[in-house]
Amino acid sequence: MEENTNLAVPVPQLRCMNMEKRKKVIAFFGELGFHFNIGAFDDRLIAQKLVCLLELKGIHLGYPCSLYVRGPYSPDLTLDLYAFTREFETLQTSSRLNPAEKEAAGELGRIFGLKPVLLEVGATYGYYAIRQECDPLEALRQVKRLKPFYSEAQIALGISKAKEFLFQPSKKDRENLKKETGIWQRASLQSLEH
Amino acid sequence: MPNDILSILNEAGGLNAKVFSLVRLKLLASLAALGPDGATYRELKAALDINDGVLFANLNVLKEMGYLVSGKITSEGKELELYTITPEGQDEWKRTRTWLCRFLNCGA
Repeated sequence: MEENTNLAVPVPQLRCMNMEKRKKVIAFFGELGFHFNIGAFDDRLIAQKLVCLLELKGIHLGYPCSLYVRGPYSPDLTLDLYAFTREFETLQTSSRLNPAEKEAAGELGRIFGLKPVLLEVGATYGYYAIRQECDPLEALRQVKRLKPFYSEAQIALGISKAKEFLFQPSKKDRENLKKETGIWQRASLQSLEH
Repeated sequence: MPNDILSILNEAGGLNAKVFSLVRLKLLASLAALGPDGATYRELKAALDINDGVLFANLNVLKEMGYLVSGKITSEGKELELYTITPEGQDEWKRTRTWLCRFLNCGA
């Protein structure tokens, strides 16, 4: 019987790719100072939403999120979190973040601060706004529908964090903002002169 | 493999008929995707838009059949009920889904 050599090659490659993507996520957890504990519900939630927000930011980690009852979520990440728990919990990785990835991790940590509610609201809003291309009002409506158990204040704060992390203002945005606030700035400068 | 409608209908004999309600199918499909992570009661209620009475009753039926387990967890200081699918639940959902796919392809 003729040996099928094609079958022998992809399996180790796939395993290697899977390992690399896991190691990269662990490197992000390390950079963020996130000490994952599989037994803690909030830690599993934080892990999911961190990965989702990074993917939405354009960092390809190999764990794409889709919408589930828990909001944007990656079943592949869950499988790896349970299959390689020790690596995630002890932050075992050989992967290093490049400067852009380090900067993204720094921003993510500074803006959200590993707070589960803010991460959950932020990731959900970002998913609707970016992946489903909803306008801001529709994205807000969807967040409120999917997460009605969070207060208005929690939702407002989570969305503002998502906007800060995910959306860079364009030149046009900056000009519009300048026009909008210019009148107030001039008035306040005039009042200082008196 | 038989692909006539009668054979496919007869294959349904191996399935659990109690799973075939819209709410139970929604619950099994939702929780199967999340595996050991599970989902809280409030997440299921909001996402699936099912009222408390219907949701609670159907979750309990699936628990009694051994397809789901529940337990208390703490999130941000709040105690919540977490529902997780069991291996038996995953198997039953897989069988049901496979059969439904065959049935619908056949009927199309």
